[in-house]
Amino acid sequence: MNLFEKIFNYQIISRLEDSGTFLVTTHERRWLKTMLQHPAAAAAFSPDTLQRLNLMLEQEQAIDTQEQLIHKAASRERRVYDPLLRPLRQAITNRSFILLSYHIKQGAAYSRQEAFPYKLEYSMVKREWYLLWYHIRNQKLMSTQLGNMMEVCEEKCSLEQYELLFGKVEAILNQRKISADIKVVKEYNGELSRILYAFSCFEKEVIYNSETDEYTIRLSFANNESEYVLSKTRFLGKRVRIIQNEYMKRRMLESATKALERYEQ
Amino acid sequence: MARESFDKEIQFLRMLVLTSGAYNRQQFADRLGISIHTFDKTIKRLKEIVNSVYRQLPEEQSKEFAETIRYSYLESSDPMLLFLFRAKSLKESESQRISALLAAMHGQALTVMELLDGCCSSMAEGMPLPDEKTIRNDLKYLEQVGVIKKEPGPRPYRYRIFNDLAAQLSHDELLDLYSFVDIMANTQIPSVQGYLLRDGLKKHMIRNQAAARWAEPFLYKYHYYSRILDEAHLFMLLGAIRSRRSISFLYFSPKKETSYASKNTNPLFERETEGKQQSVLPLKVIYDHQYGRWYLLGHHNRHGIKKYRLEGLTQISEEDTAANELFDIKKAELEQRIQYSWLIDTGQPVTVRVRFFHPGPGIKNFVKERVLLQGQWGVITEENEDFFIYEIIVNGTIEIKPWIRSFGSSCEVLEPMRLRQEMIAEWKEIKSGYESV
Repeated sequence: MNLFEKIFNYQIISRLEDSGTFLVTTHERRWLKTMLQHPAAAAAFSPDTLQRLNLMLEQEQAIDTQEQLIHKAASRERRVYDPLLRPLRQAITNRSFILLSYHIKQGAAYSRQEAFPYKLEYSMVKREWYLLWYHIRNQKLMSTQLGNMMEVCEEKCSLEQYELLFGKVEAILNQRKISADIKVVKEYNGELSRILYAFSCFEKEVIYNSETDEYTIRLSFANNESEYVLSKTRFLGKRVRIIQNEYMKRRMLESATKALERYEQ
Repeated sequence: MARESFDKEIQFLRMLVLTSGAYNRQQFADRLGISIHTFDKTIKRLKEIVNSVYRQLPEEQSKEFAETIRYSYLESSDPMLLFLFRAKSLKESESQRISALLAAMHGQALTVMELLDGCCSSMAEGMPLPDEKTIRNDLKYLEQVGVIKKEPGPRPYRYRIFNDLAAQLSHDELLDLYSFVDIMANTQIPSVQGYLLRDGLKKHMIRNQAAARWAEPFLYKYHYYSRILDEAHLFMLLGAIRSRRSISFLYFSPKKETSYASKNTNPLFERETEGKQQSVLPLKVIYDHQYGRWYLLGHHNRHGIKKYRLEGLTQISEEDTAANELFDIKKAELEQRIQYSWLIDTGQPVTVRVRFFHPGPGIKNFVKERVLLQGQWGVITEENEDFFIYEIIVNGTIEIKPWIRSFGSSCEVLEPMRLRQEMIAEWKEIKSGYESV
């Protein structure tokens, strides 16, 4: 299987877009057939649709990689699909409100809260689905695990309301953005590739000082993500050092001090 | 035309993505082992593809290329780097001809002669007109990649677009399919074919509805942006393993400063490449979720088990087929050696014991949750109100160490003693780094 097919060429794709022609290659059909064998497929389609899809792909050969491809250090895969994904996706693509009933970790339950859903987020680390939404009465951004939801009811939302709420969400997201400068300790420049890979899941900018041969990685992230950035920084250990962001510097010092106390050092 | 390798484009994009803005043109070119001229040419070509694929507005075109493909979380629904797989070059006349053929077969089945007529009348002025043989060859290719189908019936044969997938599903079913494809392409491997399908479905659905109402529902947090670049080599390697064929390639270790060297055909400019020519019998491909990196593990005649990072492989070509018996022995040997690899270490197995502390009463036990989620085959052997003991056999301690360290003061290494000592030394060093500022 060659992924660089003529048929995928950008000029062809762009011309076909003009003529409104939809293409699907054997590559794509084989991939889809493979994915339909995953247990998630049963939750993603109605039994009738799934059966028809399988029938349409009957002639194709699944891509079998099991013998040759191994995954390492993956988080255990919990469920890839959640039954609530479909109604929530519909609410988002229809640009609607929802009335959301859910409970939180400590046990408290909330009933029929007016919610403006804007994204469904899957964490590759926790392997869980979350709904990102705006709590209309409390005017707060929320993130709720799909597993903690009891009921979702879609409600119509006018275009003006939608735009107003979306604007509010964007404004809060922007306010929440913070940054940290992380310096690559020069002795470890040889491991630069590994370090940059570790941070490649963040929005970032890299600054290189050619005179001193030093690299600084400027990460931007939401303030509720500091914990994850800190865990990545501890992951890399002495290879990197946070040089800008007082709170995070203090937290690193605290981690190191407390860790040494564990070892009675 | 020689087979395009795309090594240059892949190395180029990877460096651009990883170092986001760190280097100027000269520094960038030096590190890739190419001239500034090649740098400019490559960027021009990539820009052209991106602009054509993403149909950007004129004001956005002036954006720096690096800026265009920079990772932005809220806009990450469309995997930007997918355009690499659109880069196969094609003559203008060929791309016009193929598009015209496909557009003609859209909605109706046609014979070769009908297609020839239609194609001749739709070619732009100045373009060579195709003959029957060319059209037949095109149809053969299109049938082979599965985008068209020969209709049953007597000669002359009729051909039609083969896209039942879209034609036979209702709008709601297509939306379900789109969600499924999006989710699976993002959470499973391989993913590139899925992203290509997602792209096609999305364009198809936008065309068939009020365009302005399209909203992307899904986001994937902490995903490794550049991982799809390495899928470019993946199928060739999987194919070589399946057919037990040795491969040879020019290898650039990611630790070296230069990560690519152009294959110069003009002897005047020939210079020594810094990569190393390698020949190996490939046995396994490993995807490391910890960094989003790929490895090839194989058997080398002289050195036994060899490990390569996929990103360092260039100019790959297939060689001889190995005997069944040899392949099976080497494969079994490798499987046994990597059984306890946290990632790919084939060193001596050692038992690691770590005490993890619960975060305290009333707080959600995120420590244990994470250990259960990410601790691979390790087990909890003991647990009380304050802590639990996690135990795992791993090959060497180098690869598991960063993971343990990421827990900070929530854990304490108990065994082996050497790892415990190393951990203490590192925390001391880290502490002094933050105390001094």
